[in-house]
Amino acid sequence: MKTLALIALIAACSPDRGPRWREAGATTPRAGGTLRIASQTAITTLDPAVAYDETSIAAIHMMVDGLVGYAVDSTAVEPRLAERWDISPDGLTYRFTLRAGLTYADGKRIVARDFERALERALAMKDSPYGSHLAGVAGAQAVLEGKTTDCTGIVTIDDRTLELRLTAPNAAMLYELAMPFAAPLTEESLAGAPLRRGPLPSGPYELVEWDEGRRIELVRRAHYHDPTRQRIERIVLLENVPRDLQFMMFERGELDAAERLTASDLRWIQQQPAWAPHLKTRALMNAFGSRMNVREKPFDDKRVRQAMNYAVDKQRIVKLLTGTAVSSHGVLAPGAFGRDDTIAPYPHDPAKARALLAEAGYPDGFSLDYMTLADEEAEKLAVSLKADLAAVGIDMSITQVTFSAFADAISKPTGPKFSIVTWVGDFPDPLSLLDPLFHSRYIAEENATNFSFFKNTELDGILDAARGETDLAKRAALYKRAERILYDEAPWIWGYHQLMTEVTHPYVRGYQPHPIWVRDYTPAWLDLGADGERVER
Amino acid sequence: MLACVSRVRRETRRSALIGAILVVVLVGLGVITPGDPHTLEVDRGLSELGLPLPPSADSPLGTDHLGRDVLARIAAGASTSLGVATLATLLALSIGVAVGLIAGYAGGWVDRVLMRTVDLVLAFPFLLLAILLASLLRESGLTTSSAPVVLTLALAGWTTMARVIRTKTMTLARSELVIAARAIGASPLRIVVRHLLPNVASVVVVVAVLGFAQNILAESVLSYLGLGPPPPDPTWGRMLYEGRTFYRTAPHLVLAPGLAIVIAVIAFNLLAEGLRGLVAEDRADYR
Repeated sequence: MKTLALIALIAACSPDRGPRWREAGATTPRAGGTLRIASQTAITTLDPAVAYDETSIAAIHMMVDGLVGYAVDSTAVEPRLAERWDISPDGLTYRFTLRAGLTYADGKRIVARDFERALERALAMKDSPYGSHLAGVAGAQAVLEGKTTDCTGIVTIDDRTLELRLTAPNAAMLYELAMPFAAPLTEESLAGAPLRRGPLPSGPYELVEWDEGRRIELVRRAHYHDPTRQRIERIVLLENVPRDLQFMMFERGELDAAERLTASDLRWIQQQPAWAPHLKTRALMNAFGSRMNVREKPFDDKRVRQAMNYAVDKQRIVKLLTGTAVSSHGVLAPGAFGRDDTIAPYPHDPAKARALLAEAGYPDGFSLDYMTLADEEAEKLAVSLKADLAAVGIDMSITQVTFSAFADAISKPTGPKFSIVTWVGDFPDPLSLLDPLFHSRYIAEENATNFSFFKNTELDGILDAARGETDLAKRAALYKRAERILYDEAPWIWGYHQLMTEVTHPYVRGYQPHPIWVRDYTPAWLDLGADGERVER
Repeated sequence: MLACVSRVRRETRRSALIGAILVVVLVGLGVITPGDPHTLEVDRGLSELGLPLPPSADSPLGTDHLGRDVLARIAAGASTSLGVATLATLLALSIGVAVGLIAGYAGGWVDRVLMRTVDLVLAFPFLLLAILLASLLRESGLTTSSAPVVLTLALAGWTTMARVIRTKTMTLARSELVIAARAIGASPLRIVVRHLLPNVASVVVVVAVLGFAQNILAESVLSYLGLGPPPPDPTWGRMLYEGRTFYRTAPHLVLAPGLAIVIAVIAFNLLAEGLRGLVAEDRADYR
């Protein structure tokens, strides 16, 4: 009886009244208020040249600006601290002109030399993952090798003009400069307190306090050139808050947003009419799938690789991941530059898979091992894959390993011939996905990133041409051709892209998860009552 | 007076009976294990939205987040939990009985040293000690078996048994029974094994069953904290942990293992209660 009463009690709680607070109803964005958010992981460093994890970058991004940045809701590059830039017709020289009257939070002027200092620092720093992004700049190699600290290709013309000279055209140059490591640094900032404890605020917010591992507090800074990027007065980010706890705190009104909802919370909120409009999703620039070593039998035959793709039930995978993924025909996520949206993922067609296997000389299938990770999601996917392959006569066994063992194993041609594969792009360009994953230049005996050891001369040619192509339309067309080739050659079982899910209270307005920046609240504003308090429904 | 005694007897007998029945059901569940606790049923075991299914005719307790049958997992969890608790209790019992008998019979400095050791172990809160031991044993690489949990529970749980048995032994050591045995020249070992042990046996049984109930609860706590037997073997504690995020969309994932733990602990407590009453009655009858 007590059980029934308990069930009845829980059931009675289910129909939800929706958000407790509402938007105050301002017709134009208003300034002020404190935004409280949380992250599952901790901030490891605030040094823009070192930070490489999501939470650190999210915090740093609100404090620093580079020459260029991304548009609010897309990956289009737009001016930030530079007011404009000119690229020479040969694509080798980039000349940036800074906005007039730019200053840091303390009123000190931002000058072109500060950008040169930051870029050269990243190049010279051994523990910076960003130095290699500038490898195409003239003279960068010498700095990377530690022979000098002055990069000849980064030139300060005057206080408001900076020039970058490249050795070859690079279509991703602007994306690389949009990363936080390219934010300006003064001589004093390098001599003073370590940047790890707080960057030099060239962006819309400055640091109030960072209680490491617990919380960081930012406040709108003075003298910023664009007030529309700092409408929220104060931003508090709590670290190390698991996602289910985040959602509970969000419901209680202790947080203004919750990210990466658990399967249960996501499905629940989608079913509540009062909540559903406040749920936001965005495909991130990542790719998940299964890679096949195309040098090894049976994967040396294209028909086998295609058969593997036909055998997999993508709908089931999306269901298993409870709607936090979109299935894909390749590695470029929806919205990515150069993606051919007209290609549909391989249909689930076991009969066709069997026919292709028979054609390739495997009418009775074969057995093989699948290496995957030891986490719950990977396990679910492996079990699903095993069932799909069994249906077309392929007998698959599963080996689970740690991430480091996995990363080491799949980057060698002698590693497992069939395994899970994941890749996250650094910037929104096929250059950070298609090249490292499928260009033959990235095949190596060790530390290869072309995990399927796929070599296709036509594809190599297209990718090389696209890298140096400065006409965007022509470049997009080249990548679409590359996508077709990859789809047909199928070096991976094309999988899915993960979705970012985030829910906000109704008074958080103007916010949309960004495809590159995680938790970028700079365009957002809080629609609070006249007294600065949340308005109850 | 007579009526009162018989009412007490009836009640203790009844609680012993209820406890025993529940224990038999739990053990039966653990032995039979209806269904398959491991297979992921993506197609049949999850809703259209990929969520766990509520209880139905196919799966009386519903399915979990991977589409596995919850009843099958509760049953498999019973076998894991009861197995771990049995081993841990036996181990704790052997330490506790040995220490209790030696301390109680020898007395003097032996007693003082042993009892101060017991105090030392008892000074740590049980859960903290268990968590510390479990993490240490995990570090030692024994992660693929239930051994760390069994050792943890035994090393943290033998002290109560030692104390109770020591007290009982001390009384017995001064009884005519032991004096007589000593008078005819029996060795201390013989006295402990042949005369003391059989006489503390009834207490041992009650203490063991109570300890068993505590071990079931402690094993669930450790599993909830991720320090229990390793996956994929289901345990009630881990099922509770895995189900916690579904408390709203699939409450059966929390209710089923939660109730299983409650029922198991109550069952063993009732049994212990009943046994204690019966032991007391026996003694009264002999007198």
